[in-house]
Amino acid sequence: MSGAPLPVPAPALVDVSGLRIGIRQGSREPLRVVDRADFQIGRGEIVGLVGESGSGKSMVCRSLIGTLPRRGAFIMSGRIEFAGHDLASIDERAWRDIRGKKIGYITQSALAGLNPVMTIEAQLREAIDQDLSANAESSAARAKGLLDVVRIRRPEVVLRQFPHQLSGGMRQRVIIASAIAPRPQLLVADEPTTGLDVTVQAEIMKLLRTIQADMGLSILLVSHDLALIDDVCEKVVVMHAGACIETAGVEQLAKPKHPYTAALQRSRIELAAPGQELVTIVGRPPAVGSWQAGCRFADRCDMARSDCRQGDHPPLRPIGQGRSSACLHWDRLP
Amino acid sequence: MDATDHSRSAGRRVLGSLGYRTLRAAAVSFWVMVIAFGLIRLAPGDPVLARLGAEAEPAAIERLRRQLRLDVDPVTQFVEYFLALLKGDLGVSIENGRRVSDIIATSLPVTLWVIAVTVVLGLCMAVPLAAWVATARHSSVPYIFRAVTSVFLAIPAFFTALIALIVLGVHYGVAPIIGYKPDFPENLYYVWLPALVICTHLVPVLSRVLYSSIKETMAEEFVETGVVRGVGRLRFYWYYLLRPSLAPSIVLLSYMVGVMVGATVIIETIFSLPGIGRALVGAVIGRDYPVVQGCVLLFGLAVVAINLVGDVLASWLDPRLELR
Repeated sequence: MSGAPLPVPAPALVDVSGLRIGIRQGSREPLRVVDRADFQIGRGEIVGLVGESGSGKSMVCRSLIGTLPRRGAFIMSGRIEFAGHDLASIDERAWRDIRGKKIGYITQSALAGLNPVMTIEAQLREAIDQDLSANAESSAARAKGLLDVVRIRRPEVVLRQFPHQLSGGMRQRVIIASAIAPRPQLLVADEPTTGLDVTVQAEIMKLLRTIQADMGLSILLVSHDLALIDDVCEKVVVMHAGACIETAGVEQLAKPKHPYTAALQRSRIELAAPGQELVTIVGRPPAVGSWQAGCRFADRCDMARSDCRQGDHPPLRPIGQGRSSACLHWDRLP
Repeated sequence: MDATDHSRSAGRRVLGSLGYRTLRAAAVSFWVMVIAFGLIRLAPGDPVLARLGAEAEPAAIERLRRQLRLDVDPVTQFVEYFLALLKGDLGVSIENGRRVSDIIATSLPVTLWVIAVTVVLGLCMAVPLAAWVATARHSSVPYIFRAVTSVFLAIPAFFTALIALIVLGVHYGVAPIIGYKPDFPENLYYVWLPALVICTHLVPVLSRVLYSSIKETMAEEFVETGVVRGVGRLRFYWYYLLRPSLAPSIVLLSYMVGVMVGATVIIETIFSLPGIGRALVGAVIGRDYPVVQGCVLLFGLAVVAINLVGDVLASWLDPRLELR
């Protein structure tokens, strides 16, 4: 049997339902990159968002910080409820009070996430306060305080440096510091440890967890690394080909209720026996724009039956114990 | 790694590289001088004949040759020239007896003004243009931009100059056809049209390079950070788009300015500006050895100096670039 049921959540901080994201392509039909994203993030919860590249994770992130238009993408339908707003329909003016202020963002790459032509101090002060002339002294002190929070030693030296003079781990700490500067309620972290070595990765994850506990904020942690998610998150959302196909508590995920999640679990490197060939998932994820009818995993799934290839992609349905699956035959899994 | 030491050693590196570059500049100048001295003597023709005419008496020719020290062997001539140069003496024009330093002092500012106005005008056009094209929402804007800049690049500058003279100078009378006044700001009236003509080539090249740099910058992740932070519009354009993108364009610009110092010859001739380019052409035709040597040496120094300024400026704009 699966682990203990999740506690009944208080009203979620973020409630994404039926989210569809498309990319404009001139006069042709928009290209759908996300279709049927549904998940919730509770207050003070760390939620992992897992999926292969091209599964639409990054687009979901962008919809939470309102930067879809920069990539020519837009929300076709669905709702993103956050603190009384529907982020799917608010205008740019309303976004300005939320983006970066109530929802912080941690970039994918520590190496490219900081502005190369600004000192660390300038970037932190920019994050703390847009009105740079006002109260220069107190915002300089706050910048230093933020570096203390993310455990950077000798902050007074680091403040005067440029990003290229710092190590990858230090840079990611600075990025985290600047993301939490305006005291957001939600942090969106899009693969925050890409390009960092494993020990640094662990440190950054520990730091994120500490900050989460101290500030009581919620974190959406995007990753393709299940091991990382296991360590940090309470809840996991699995995405495949633009759809959320399973949500579960992190312990529950040991017994997947969707064949795609099961395949992901089987292909984990750290679980492979030495000398044995690594397990990979058969086939490739279906290319965006050529999704077949029915379940988009059907072609790679050894459990697929004829009803799997009909109609729309199956919706995520609650299957008890607080978890949900989009598989029509979830009950056939062990 | 100790951060204080890092920044201190960075400072030392900048000074060290400036010292190295000064040495290199001196070496380049020396070789430019040697080549200028040698090449003009290799060219057929004789400065004495050019001044006295082909029917001059042999005795007069011989006298002038001795007076100009052209009767001694070239190596001695070079040593004498070099020793004088070390004392700051560039020599005297064979053609009209003016000191070469005076010729340069009166003609160089004209050229410098043309170039300065060109650079300011060019940047004022290329930077906003590139930024606008790179951030334009409509997908046809970059295509039109590329097509129009190609057209401008395809038209020779001297042709544009002639058309501009006829239309703006003769027909509308908004630009002078001939002449120059050396005092600022009256000289701007004589300089703006030549500068604009050079810009018809400078702006397309510069804005294209800048356009692709900005496009590259826009794909970088820190730009998204700026958007998320809600940085003000002007601040965003400067710190998140332009400053991280400008360095390659500035290096290119400094190179092009170096080329321009020589290439203004055509523009100066068409617009009858008494600049250094025209002085050089006149001197080459008259085989006026000292003037040719002086001008070429100056061009060499100018190119080296401008490239140095460009590199320093680029590394200030983008701290990732370290001076080498």
